[in-house]
Amino acid sequence: MDAVGVALRAARVGDVTVSAGQDSSLTTRMADNIITQNVRQDGRWLSVTCAFGKKHGSVSTSDLSRDAIRGAVRRAEEIARVTRPDPEHMPPLGRAEMRKYVPSTSDVSATLAATAGQVARDLARAAREVGKMKLRLSGAMSAGGSVWAIGNSAGLRACHRSTNAEVHMTALGGDGSGWAQETSHDIADVNAGRAAAEAARIAVLARHPKDLAPGNYTVIMKPAAAAELLMFALWPFDAKAADEGHSYLRGKLGKKVFGSNFTVRSDHTDPRSPDSPFGGDGLARRPMHWVRNGVVENLVYSRFWAKKKRKAPTGWPPNHIVEGDGTSVDAMIASTEHGLLITRFWYVRYIDSMLPTATGMTRDGLFLIRNGRIAGPVRQMRFNVNTTGVLNSIEMTGTPERAWMVVPALKVRDFSFTSGTRF
Amino acid sequence: MKDLCQRAIGVAKRRGASYADARILDMRNQSVFTEDRRVSGINDSDSIGIGVRVIAGGAWGFASGPDLTKAGVERTAAGAVEVAKASGLARARRGVSWADEPPARGVFRTPFTVDPFAIPVRDKVGLLLSIGNEVLRVRGVKKCHGWMWFMRERRWFANTEGAEFESDVVTSVAQYSATAVDGATAKTRSLEAHPANAGWEHINATPLLAEARRVGEEAAAKLKGKPVRAGRRDLILMPLHLALTMHESIGHATELDRVLGMEESLAGSSFATTDKLGKLRYGSKLMNIVCDNTMPHGLATKGWDDDGVAGQRWPVIRDGILVDYQTSREVCGAIGAKRSHGSCRADSWGSIPIIRQSNIGLEPGLKPLSLDELIADTKDGILIDGMGSFSIDQKRLNFQFGGDCFREIRNGKVGPLLKDLTYQAITTEFWGAMDAVCDRRFWRPFGVANCGKGDPGQTARMTHGSAPARFRKIRVSPA
Repeated sequence: MDAVGVALRAARVGDVTVSAGQDSSLTTRMADNIITQNVRQDGRWLSVTCAFGKKHGSVSTSDLSRDAIRGAVRRAEEIARVTRPDPEHMPPLGRAEMRKYVPSTSDVSATLAATAGQVARDLARAAREVGKMKLRLSGAMSAGGSVWAIGNSAGLRACHRSTNAEVHMTALGGDGSGWAQETSHDIADVNAGRAAAEAARIAVLARHPKDLAPGNYTVIMKPAAAAELLMFALWPFDAKAADEGHSYLRGKLGKKVFGSNFTVRSDHTDPRSPDSPFGGDGLARRPMHWVRNGVVENLVYSRFWAKKKRKAPTGWPPNHIVEGDGTSVDAMIASTEHGLLITRFWYVRYIDSMLPTATGMTRDGLFLIRNGRIAGPVRQMRFNVNTTGVLNSIEMTGTPERAWMVVPALKVRDFSFTSGTRF
Repeated sequence: MKDLCQRAIGVAKRRGASYADARILDMRNQSVFTEDRRVSGINDSDSIGIGVRVIAGGAWGFASGPDLTKAGVERTAAGAVEVAKASGLARARRGVSWADEPPARGVFRTPFTVDPFAIPVRDKVGLLLSIGNEVLRVRGVKKCHGWMWFMRERRWFANTEGAEFESDVVTSVAQYSATAVDGATAKTRSLEAHPANAGWEHINATPLLAEARRVGEEAAAKLKGKPVRAGRRDLILMPLHLALTMHESIGHATELDRVLGMEESLAGSSFATTDKLGKLRYGSKLMNIVCDNTMPHGLATKGWDDDGVAGQRWPVIRDGILVDYQTSREVCGAIGAKRSHGSCRADSWGSIPIIRQSNIGLEPGLKPLSLDELIADTKDGILIDGMGSFSIDQKRLNFQFGGDCFREIRNGKVGPLLKDLTYQAITTEFWGAMDAVCDRRFWRPFGVANCGKGDPGQTARMTHGSAPARFRKIRVSPA
């Protein structure tokens, strides 16, 4: 983008890093089978960081006129002059970094070309079908794209385009609810009717739920549920926090922390969750294993911490891909004598990130399994679990799908529910 | 800016909108971050653009963009109408309902003494680094994160009904955390000049540096805290803690769009449905919950909401009974209200206004009662201050909260720090167990600056006030 060049030319002295972006998206929301909100959003921004030695300051603006960009550079320079040195500040990466970039395809023109009319028609059709089942449909469908570019005073220049389409549908009928979600960079992979039908199927099964006593159960988490929970084990992979002792992974690099059947990696070229070839500072992304067969193989090293610890910098993962062995959810159910099938979780939060324990609720379809079959719906329940304990108790894994991350359904033993709610 | 707003709604009207409003926001932010004894970041940002909302063909449309040229504004307005026409493919049979409101006119400005943007960056950095130095002197404390954030939001609004107003809101916040580490674990304690619509004087009035040693010492003491036994205990909840409990179990539950199912697919709905209005016993007779968008320094106090409705004060729970909701012009008719309470806000020019929590809080007790007297009257309890872990189901019934600091109360006296714990309850049972609220002298407001809702997600700000209150026999567990 030309804005990056304008900013770089405006800088007088010192190290300068500029990033700029532009995005456009459509989001159409539905509740009770009617469109309740319909939004088209266009945005743009430029961010400039100026540094004099170890002193740095950053300014961002939505005004990309030449004068505004020059003004932003001047303000960043002023901040850098008056602040104090930051011993962790690193000089910008040079051109050589660009040779390490491995391209990925994460933009599809059809996603960017989607119109409000097209999205509304898809949702209206889905609502009509669900309405025939005497159910109410809520949810949203969105499509959009962005472009962002970075450049710095050491000569690095890079640009990346991406698109994203998503639909999530909740079907309601009586006291039952069901939910389904589809997301991809390609709108052709996202089908509102299919998601609505799946949500409706679950909603019908979920009617007339019964109370179930809290306790430890074998659970089958569908991918959306697994993704929601696993984040709480995967966020604290920062090497600095681990080395300083305020992460549950302190002293755990190279050690077995999780079960042998748990492997997680990242790869920005993976077609299920493609991302840019570089991170925010221009650092090249490369495929990484974070956990292999339960062993913590890598932690996240910033450029500063990597230099201090004589490691290669990793940057933050662009995605998480959890390996699975392809067992179907039906096979998991068939293998379960007494357990619960979980559609998704809601409001998961740490209790103590150092352990790391987490709590949350089930939502939109919780089903009791008895003797290898779905016995019926039960009311939603609250769990309190240790996430490393969960990842040491995986009995079966499914085929990885894109949810929050790319993750398979998981069958896990001894999952602790501590209370129930009234629906 | 006013002319551009008028231009936008004019274009929308000519293209077939029966209603249109336009908001231009000029948002300036400054953040200062420190980690231990270093400045980890200073970020200044400004963002300006327009959001145009229309009703056309009985359906909603919204478009937003940063282009404030005449042509850009016209393009955005035309886009909103185009989007509304698409919405018509699945619209309500009778179209969008919309409560009348006299056209708002005027200017609202946050009262403040010292413009936080006029304070030199070096002073802000100096304060946070001094705090870091003080905190890190405490034995066992290994980490200190500091943060300051200032915002100035100028807004110009006009609609096709003749409303035209401006607002100029200034928000300030500073906070830090101390983390103590030993061989087995790490514990954190925090302090903040809570988010408030105020200037630098708000930061100055908070003893951030003076309390730094104590905060560090309490972080270290938490490592050696006494374990709590699981069971039912009386809880005395301090205002900073109660702010989050109210936010989750009352604030969200009384947003009428949630109640009507409009947020079903993401943020969820509410157990406090409209058939229970005037009947639902939400809590004990001591429970009086009032919304107040006229509250001085409240984060939701901005003159008018983004429907153009003036700030109001109204009860939602009176003597423990649900009596009202937080409403917008679109949904207030669902409960027979002729006028919205003005709870509809957007977080930026790029976002569509939706119902957001007002400044909402627990009224103080009417009988004189100090915190010391409340503690003296408690035989076996726990005093909880600050915010910690929080989670609640999507209908706002089953919740579980932690906190930042826990102290045992034995025979009317406050004892040593306890290890972290959580308490879990059903909303109505919890509020039904409230048997004492301290009086007005002990009422304190606390701002919440990061409330998420909406799709696309938005972050709203609001203030929750209360006095310390006691809740009997609540289930607690070690964290």
